[in-house]
Amino acid sequence: MNQSMRLSGRAALLAASAIASVVVLGPIIWALSTSLKSDNHIFAVPPRLIPDEPTLMHFQRLIAEGVQWSFLNSAFYTVVSVAFAVAVGGTAGYALVRYPVPAKRALLVLFMGVMSIPSYALLLPTQVIFVRLGIFDTRLALPILYAAHVIPFAVWMTRAHFATVPRELEQAALVDGYSRFEAVWKVIIPGARPALIAASAFGFLYAWNDYITATTMVEAPDLRTLPVALIFFQGFHGRDWGALMAGVVIATLPPVVLFLVYRRYLIGGFSEGSVKG
Amino acid sequence: MVSVPASGTTTFTRSIEDAARAGRRVGTTLVGPAVLVVIAVNILPAFFGFYSSLRKIFFFGDEGFAGLDNFRALFADPVTWEAIGRSLIFTFGALALAVPLALLAALAVRELGARGRILLTILLVPWAMSPIVVALLWKWILLPSPGGLFASILATFGMPPANLLSNPTWAMPTVIAVAVWRTFAFAAIILTAGLGQIPKDLYKAAAVDGLTAVERFSRITVPLLAPSILIVLSMLTISYFNEVQVIIGLTSGGPIRSTTTLAYQLYLTGFVELDQGRGNAIAVVMFLINLVLIVGYVQLLGNKKGGEA
Repeated sequence: MNQSMRLSGRAALLAASAIASVVVLGPIIWALSTSLKSDNHIFAVPPRLIPDEPTLMHFQRLIAEGVQWSFLNSAFYTVVSVAFAVAVGGTAGYALVRYPVPAKRALLVLFMGVMSIPSYALLLPTQVIFVRLGIFDTRLALPILYAAHVIPFAVWMTRAHFATVPRELEQAALVDGYSRFEAVWKVIIPGARPALIAASAFGFLYAWNDYITATTMVEAPDLRTLPVALIFFQGFHGRDWGALMAGVVIATLPPVVLFLVYRRYLIGGFSEGSVKG
Repeated sequence: MVSVPASGTTTFTRSIEDAARAGRRVGTTLVGPAVLVVIAVNILPAFFGFYSSLRKIFFFGDEGFAGLDNFRALFADPVTWEAIGRSLIFTFGALALAVPLALLAALAVRELGARGRILLTILLVPWAMSPIVVALLWKWILLPSPGGLFASILATFGMPPANLLSNPTWAMPTVIAVAVWRTFAFAAIILTAGLGQIPKDLYKAAAVDGLTAVERFSRITVPLLAPSILIVLSMLTISYFNEVQVIIGLTSGGPIRSTTTLAYQLYLTGFVELDQGRGNAIAVVMFLINLVLIVGYVQLLGNKKGGEA
């Protein structure tokens, strides 16, 4: 009897998980389905999940509007800012573990404190500063801001991980005749790979998914990011839900694929950070 | 210093000192760029924002020192207090929904073993999406016309289409639900990790002692999970209190201001109405509230950990 209760409990659990998965994935699949339907099928009653005659017309319409340039802008801002943030933040994280940096505690508090400032609360003064420096509405504006926001994360994540790479490994490499640089490149960086991947993935999600920084720091249409372009598209073609959902699909694909590929590092990065405090 | 004849010891001491100095120099050089960027792009604007909050600035025109006028005007305006109230409703409404859901998800993930990891991955997919894109997606789903997915589900139950996002009563709960849809699984990660830290033997011992499932949950799971729950509460509180993109995308603060939280009010005042003096004053208030929340949670977490150690 206990056995059958166990089994029915497990069945209920699986059923609940299935429902939760449908509630979570359903809307995303619905967007994909809408993006592949022709205009006269989109409002069909009752709605159909599988498009009758799948079409790429909405994606073509987005391309006709030049949305691919916004996609490339987003990609450029994201890649540049993540590469810079992880390089600079990772270097700092390494130094904080291996070298007697002056005011180490104060620096750690600084990085932690900066993470607790809501980024959009700084956008008003940043806008004025960027206007005066001539950075506002240029290709530099967003990579600088994204990098500055990801650096503290990268420092904390890599610091925790560099601390677990044994110092002896490094020394052994030096004894074996590697230069300091080679030792870092061939021994330390591979050792800290999970933290570097996790920091990069967080940076990617932050920069690629941002809307508010992008909409307040860039005005020129040819510098726009994808989320901003989609909101403008919605403003002009409010009822073109097919094209809007095609845009949702295009904007969602890179971060979701990245998340699925690197989920182990992302989940690990967060749960380790919380359990170890 | 007394001159000591050159001996092995002093050379040794000096070389250690030299090495330490060299180490500090290298360390400073390596940390330097990160510190410079963070000071230039995060700290300086924060101070400049505080300075601006004390001035009358409109349409980028600085009209001079205003003292605390921006703050006085802010707190004299009932709109501000309403926005603070809505921020609290949004934050605690979302927490009330997200934390139990995350706990259920975490328990299910643990029970399901290998399949649980798949469940967690599925639940986390919306978290990888852009908040503004999530808003667009839900706008389409909630479209109150035939063809809208939500309207069609209502229709199968014989109900007329409901325009949730333009209904002053339903707009806030809807915005909360969408925000929770995007983020609750993030809390589940931390709770799953916390559950993993509870020794399995405790449950075996409890089973031997004849404790029921409910007793095991209330006497073992909840107390031992308390630190993880506190972390989840603190991270989500701050993230919900500062949520602005989902609101911009779904309702733009409407209808009739019913979803205008303090975060949205900051965006509206500073970037739409271009009252930058007052916008910065709101930013200062937001920052102070964030600080209070963070310090409060650090205290709670610190005491908890100290008490157990």
